[in-house]
Amino acid sequence: MDSWVVAMMLGASLFLGGIALIAFLWGIKTGQFDDAKRMMNQVQFDDEKELNDAADQQKKKEVLRKKEYRPE
Amino acid sequence: MPDVKCDHCHLVFSDSVMIHDGELHFCCNGCKGIYHLLKDEGLESFYTKMGEATLVPPTRQLEPSENFDSPSFYDRFVTVVSQDLAQVSLIIEGIHCAACVWLNEKALHKMPGMIEAHINYTNNKARLIWDPKVLKLSSIIDMIRAIGYNAYPYDASMQEVRTNKERKEYYLRMAVAAFASMNMMWIAVAQYAGYFTGMTQEIKTILNIAEWVLATPALFYSGWVFYRGAYYGLRNGAVTMDMLVVTGSTLAYCYSIYITVLEKGEAYFDSVAMIITFVLLGKFLEVLSRKNAADTLDVIGKYIPSEVSILDGDTIRSVRVSDVNVGDTIVIRTGERAAIDGEVISGEGSFDESNLTGEADPIFKRTGDMIISGTTSIDALLHYRALKDYAHSTLSHLVNLLENAMSQKPRIEQLANRLSEYFSSTILFLAIATFWGWYFWPHSFDRALMVGISVIIIACPCALALATPVATIVGLALGAKRSILFKSAAQIETMAKATMFVLDKTGTITQGRPVVVYATYHASFDQGTLSALVSSSKHPISLGIVEYLEKTESAVQAGGISEVNEIPARGLVGRSNGVMIAGGNGLLMQDMGIAIETSSDKSLFYYAVDGVLCATFELQDLPKENASKAIKTLQAFGLRVVMLTGDHEASAMRIAREVGIDEVYAHVTAQEKADFIEKGHNEGHVVVMAGDGVNDLLALACADIGIAMGNGSDIAIEVSDIVLLNDSLVSLTEAYAISRRTYGLIKQNLGISLVYNAITIPLAMMGYIIPLIAAISMSLSSLLVVGNSMRSRWMYK
Repeated sequence: MDSWVVAMMLGASLFLGGIALIAFLWGIKTGQFDDAKRMMNQVQFDDEKELNDAADQQKKKEVLRKKEYRPE
Repeated sequence: MPDVKCDHCHLVFSDSVMIHDGELHFCCNGCKGIYHLLKDEGLESFYTKMGEATLVPPTRQLEPSENFDSPSFYDRFVTVVSQDLAQVSLIIEGIHCAACVWLNEKALHKMPGMIEAHINYTNNKARLIWDPKVLKLSSIIDMIRAIGYNAYPYDASMQEVRTNKERKEYYLRMAVAAFASMNMMWIAVAQYAGYFTGMTQEIKTILNIAEWVLATPALFYSGWVFYRGAYYGLRNGAVTMDMLVVTGSTLAYCYSIYITVLEKGEAYFDSVAMIITFVLLGKFLEVLSRKNAADTLDVIGKYIPSEVSILDGDTIRSVRVSDVNVGDTIVIRTGERAAIDGEVISGEGSFDESNLTGEADPIFKRTGDMIISGTTSIDALLHYRALKDYAHSTLSHLVNLLENAMSQKPRIEQLANRLSEYFSSTILFLAIATFWGWYFWPHSFDRALMVGISVIIIACPCALALATPVATIVGLALGAKRSILFKSAAQIETMAKATMFVLDKTGTITQGRPVVVYATYHASFDQGTLSALVSSSKHPISLGIVEYLEKTESAVQAGGISEVNEIPARGLVGRSNGVMIAGGNGLLMQDMGIAIETSSDKSLFYYAVDGVLCATFELQDLPKENASKAIKTLQAFGLRVVMLTGDHEASAMRIAREVGIDEVYAHVTAQEKADFIEKGHNEGHVVVMAGDGVNDLLALACADIGIAMGNGSDIAIEVSDIVLLNDSLVSLTEAYAISRRTYGLIKQNLGISLVYNAITIPLAMMGYIIPLIAAISMSLSSLLVVGNSMRSRWMYK
């Protein structure tokens, strides 16, 4: 086995692992793991209705954001 | 009758006391109201989400929600995010389950004008962003109250932000270090396999480069905290453990690069990542278990009224507490807390002074009496003149003292920290000496450098860094099993060094409620009438009588009375079948012209029907079960045990005799308790204070270790370092025993790592340590420490 195979495999796996690490760091930074208790329980309330509610909430926020930027 | 579940709070009660509403059952009108509100709002799926959890039935709210709209409140708590949006941070009370979080968020989101409502389930803190033009803050609070919770604001202080940031920072660094060293491990497997079976230099270099890539972020990103620590240590003229970690890992890193580039010898990249990861793990555990002082201060904020009503001519207006001048007339209503000290000029009523004195009995105030800030009006509506401004009032004074005590809590220097300083300087010295020794012997430069570095690496501080955190975590787990909650791991060591225990009487040594110990019946009377009379009052003495009647007279049917009046500081007077009945203390009997002839150090309750004395009850606050046994255990450890109480001398002495405490101080105020603890410090004692009430707050905060009882006031629990969830004094002795044991374990662990070093360092100095052995020994020493801690856990069940 040529040594470049080892190099390539090492490189590829470290690259993939690195992506996972970066995703995890992003999760921490954006506060997704701040509330450990809530994180564990959130799955219980994850049906279609909740998704709709979340989408409505998002829309509401957008509307208000736009309102803010309106020159007065 | 069968027991049924309340449809809102899911608590079980007898069917006879329930409110029936069609198919539904409710324990109180509050629960019923909430149930229907949720139904109307389309939020009834809360009950399925809630599952088996139970809720606390809603209670009466004292502070009117309009206060939340006042300008002074806005100044203090509300921040303006942008033109149309305001933000406030609240602590929500009554959250028991994930469904509670869901319900609050949903209910708030349904309100028009609410932009964002996020509740943290772990610490019950909520961040709300809303449009104040559309929605008033008071309506938001009303909504939270309407669905059965309560909310109060807190200053989202800088300190909190900082603590959270630090925690997150460590989390990130830890993640990177763990990633790097775990990946390093499988590369190292290949390396060591190659070391024994032979491998071309080309493959070796590839593996080295891969390790180099991994070690770089581990050293410079994760290890940054050590560089920082070493720098600050040096600036203060101390060689710290950080210094050792930094020198060892940086040297090893540079040497490994040199090896990799020159393509000869073995690289040490794996050791670099390992050292950083293990030592960082120790620090990370410490940061996680650190108590968040900011959280405590937030809860205290709830106890400070933000404004008071003052009489301005004929009108009453609200002003900020800091704007009150000496001489202003202040109006205080039922349920309000006084913020300013003063003297009553008109009106009367009783005040709850338990915050300051610990005495549960209401104090009756009339014209000329002093109002002390921090006390709460129970039923009084009165006007009083401010004698001091807010900054000089008792309440503000106490809050300042408390804040100071919280921030300047005495820190007992930890054994591991002290040890690591000597250890680090010794190792660095030995490593340098080894290098020069080998260099001049003579050997080649890189041989000498490698041996020097191997001394530092073999003296791996990993075991030393892990010794304390692993042992304390075992201690925390042991405590948790016995319902002892250590809030901060570092406090275990302090607790183990305690020399003096200060105990509060009421609620800590005693049960905190009077119990009938002796009853004399002078004439026959209807117990049902007495039962009905005392049931109408919530005074602790009345509750004691009710409890006694229920226990002794099995078939008492309360009833048959009318017009009951509660006379403050006297007792109860009522009418039964046209006959006057009265129950109360000696003063009441004297007022009614009924002759009584006993004097006792116990509380007495007399009962008279139509002017004739029928019964005398003697009530006492009894010590808790096993209290004397627990105190004997503490004394057997050679500790000085002291009892402090705001109560009067006689009852204090009696309890002290019963439980076997010799040193007793009675008539002690909140401030004097704290002074007493300060005195203990000055005498060189490490002081542990156990208490449960608001009057113990200062003392709890001043003591090296504050211990709160689980059913104590929530603020006392916040301020304390240890909470005894089962209220038992036996737990107190167990907490001490566990701390001692944990401290012993810390010493053992430190001993193991030192002995380990004493064996391996000479070997390293002689140049016998090859990279393989260095790596194995590093893991082995850490494993020994962790294993020893686990052993202790299994042995002490």
